[in-house]
Amino acid sequence: MMAGLWVTLLLAILGFLVIYPLLTLLLGALTDTNPVVDGFSLRHLSITNFLAVLANPNVAEALFNTLIACGGGTLIAVVIGLAFSWIVVRTNTPFKGFIAAASILPLFAPPLVAGVAWTILGSPKTGLINTMFKWMNLDWRVDFYSLWGLVFVFGIYYAPYVYMFTSSALRNMDPSLEEAAEISGASAFATLFSVTFPLIMPAIVSGMLLSFIVMLGIYGIPAVLGAPTNIAVLTTYIFKLTNWSPPLYNTAAAVAIILMVVTGALVFLQQKVLSGRSYTTVAGKAYRPRNLDLGPWRWFTLGLGIVYLLVVVILPSLALIVAAFRKFMFIRDAASLFDMRQYSLMHFYSIFDNPLTMRSIYNAVEVGIITAVVGGTLAFAIGYTIHRTNVPGRRSIDLVSTLPVAIPGLVIGVAYLWAWIGIPGGLYGTIWILALAFIARFMPDTVKALSTSFLQIHRELEEAAWVCGKGMLGTIRTIVLPLARPGVIASMTLLFVLAIRELGSSLFLYTSNTMVMSVLLLDYYEGGNLGKTAAFSLVQTVLLGVLIGGANWLSRGAAQGSVARTG
Amino acid sequence: MNKKMIARIVTRFVTMAGIAGLGIALNGAPASAQQEFGSPELIAAAKAEGKLVYYTANFAEVEQQVIKAFNKRFPEIKVEMVRAPGGQLITRVKTEAAAGKLIADVVDHSDRALMVDLIDMFQDYAPPNAADYNPDAQISPKLWPRATLVWSIAYNTELVKDPPKTWMDLTKPQYDKMTGQVFAQSGGTTWTRIMFERQVLGEDYWAKQASTHPILYPSGAPMADSLVRGEVAMGPLLYNAIYPKQKDGAPIKIFFPPEGAPVNPYATGIPKTAAHPNAAKLFLNWCLSKEGQTFMIQELGNLTSLKVAPVYPEGFDPKVVKVWLPKFDDYVKLHAAWVADWDKTFGYRQ
Repeated sequence: MMAGLWVTLLLAILGFLVIYPLLTLLLGALTDTNPVVDGFSLRHLSITNFLAVLANPNVAEALFNTLIACGGGTLIAVVIGLAFSWIVVRTNTPFKGFIAAASILPLFAPPLVAGVAWTILGSPKTGLINTMFKWMNLDWRVDFYSLWGLVFVFGIYYAPYVYMFTSSALRNMDPSLEEAAEISGASAFATLFSVTFPLIMPAIVSGMLLSFIVMLGIYGIPAVLGAPTNIAVLTTYIFKLTNWSPPLYNTAAAVAIILMVVTGALVFLQQKVLSGRSYTTVAGKAYRPRNLDLGPWRWFTLGLGIVYLLVVVILPSLALIVAAFRKFMFIRDAASLFDMRQYSLMHFYSIFDNPLTMRSIYNAVEVGIITAVVGGTLAFAIGYTIHRTNVPGRRSIDLVSTLPVAIPGLVIGVAYLWAWIGIPGGLYGTIWILALAFIARFMPDTVKALSTSFLQIHRELEEAAWVCGKGMLGTIRTIVLPLARPGVIASMTLLFVLAIRELGSSLFLYTSNTMVMSVLLLDYYEGGNLGKTAAFSLVQTVLLGVLIGGANWLSRGAAQGSVARTG
Repeated sequence: MNKKMIARIVTRFVTMAGIAGLGIALNGAPASAQQEFGSPELIAAAKAEGKLVYYTANFAEVEQQVIKAFNKRFPEIKVEMVRAPGGQLITRVKTEAAAGKLIADVVDHSDRALMVDLIDMFQDYAPPNAADYNPDAQISPKLWPRATLVWSIAYNTELVKDPPKTWMDLTKPQYDKMTGQVFAQSGGTTWTRIMFERQVLGEDYWAKQASTHPILYPSGAPMADSLVRGEVAMGPLLYNAIYPKQKDGAPIKIFFPPEGAPVNPYATGIPKTAAHPNAAKLFLNWCLSKEGQTFMIQELGNLTSLKVAPVYPEGFDPKVVKVWLPKFDDYVKLHAAWVADWDKTFGYRQ
């Protein structure tokens, strides 16, 4: 009875957040009308949009580019993410804390900012890298306005997704399994590939899939790097459709639904691969974490960390700093780059002179916190129901909560606008419509991130609590929540970052009062001012860094506190 | 127009003429000078409303400056702006209006053709100086050319030693791979330009220009930025997109080519549902006033649709430059087919 009520409640929430907007989107794709303006009518239903989209060779080309860029990017992301999680969790590399921090730093960079930074660095004509090569009399050239440039930037920026999943799995893994392999004579390398990685396979596959899917939905990077040479991916193509005059939303909705089908197939595949196996690595036995002694190789692994930090954080930050403080971005040669007369604070004065700047920062933080708290709680409820109960209907909950992953932000924005604007009570025009859209949009990310923690906690721990007479809620409070706490905090932090960065779905839902940072950033970029864009990017990055650093510091305190209590 | 309204407009004209005759300075003028922008009742009602919500397709930064200048005159009225590219703005307005939740007190759009469908949504409105405006710039008596933008050609002086002097020069083979272009589908202003190119410069102008392999941009602003950085060396740009950068000292030269300067007036109006109609009227009155238009010309690089321009932007000699305004009929009817042709000629993918 209670279980039925609970499932109905969850499904009702999901219906409002996911199904209803999706149906409006589908309706939009099947007609040539705006469902709000022309009313929800089924009279003009046709599959013309789909046929037009399927027959269009440019869609096929955009799809091909998308698969290459995201596929290649995912490959790089898996190699980097896995390597660093192993280095950080399992080896005695010096300054591991520093490598751990470097491994998640790219998450702070909004895609548009990353794109802008890499166009400053990697443009074939005016890029700083080429300018420096010329200065050093080297006959090398880089060109990031290409598919390979896209693959590279995708790969390095989305490695943190893989890292987050695999590092927490590695951390929670009982090293006695590895020891057993080594005692049986396997080399460290063989152990890695025959024991360690197979054991954390759900985390690897989840991280891989998530990073692939997130790349599918990214607009900023391909928009900046692909535009000069007319390389279209599906997101930039959809953006084009909505940005034209007159806009073609119905066609955009049709392209989006095709994208959803592709993603849906991927999610299905993942579940197929992972189903029917046990991946519990945290059980009720005590174990000691163990570090592999790399000997002199530990300096090599440290070197890898430094190179990654250089490429992903330092170079792009320098590019942004140059752009933010330089009056104009025309850089004749290396000497001009170091000409201090070219630098000033004018872009910073100008952005803080704009009253929208402070308003947008305040709004973004508010939306971020609401999204993280409400979304994190909902994701916990959903994750627990899916993985820890046997209630009927949990499969549908799983499926529905995964759906939003497949919808690009821009289109989801239109879907939410269409779906929610008519709701009485004035949701439209408030911070809450943005927060709800983000909660729905990032539910799959959060639920997946939490699921890994659930999968790893062995049932025997909960069973022990039940035996001791704890109820369901009591068990969750005393056993599951403390054990899954790193995962919960990580998911909420992730949600906060994603909400602050999110651009696509904000574009249609913000109003004059609820302007957020990402929208203002796009305004600066589209307003053609690289200096102000870079200056505001720096402000945003520093702000995110401070907030997340603070949250991390707080949660570390909390985690240590709980360890002290239980230990 | 009812009698009351005519009377009010006449009063405004008389007041305006009086003020002009007295030669009161524009800035820091006492309250009486404010009457150029509306009756004391309107101003009082606007101040009581205290704010307005302004939807625009123009660039946020540019409009922020307009709002600031307006606030110098009327600091009591807060202007909240929502800025979106043309197509997105229209979708938002239509959707909000259909749901009965249109928040905008003023809607300001670059593509007059898209606004035609929405005319019924707007209330009757005319500024005090309505008679001073060129009627060709309007598609409806409810909608006014708050901003009037003009095309020019700009180049990076560090990269171009032998600059183009005309529209035809942009097709020269020596500028191969050096030019940039905003693509046709981006909105009302670009549509005006490509129409001018085909109707005035010749049926084959697009093909000639396409053969120089221009880089295509989604909008004028990123192209202006690329021009400053040196990603492209030259190309047609809206004067107001590039002029502020030249003013700040960027290595840029801008000129108005002798064959003509395509001009695109905006269409701006006040929705019937406006929650702050008086503040909206006062804001538009100010924007459309001589003071407002002068500000936009001098500081932002706009033109004006006033019959007699108060000033001209730097480098614009009205005796030399031929302003080109599209026929509105063509503007609406030719759009789809010509844009498709353009896309084909430039290999721009749809």
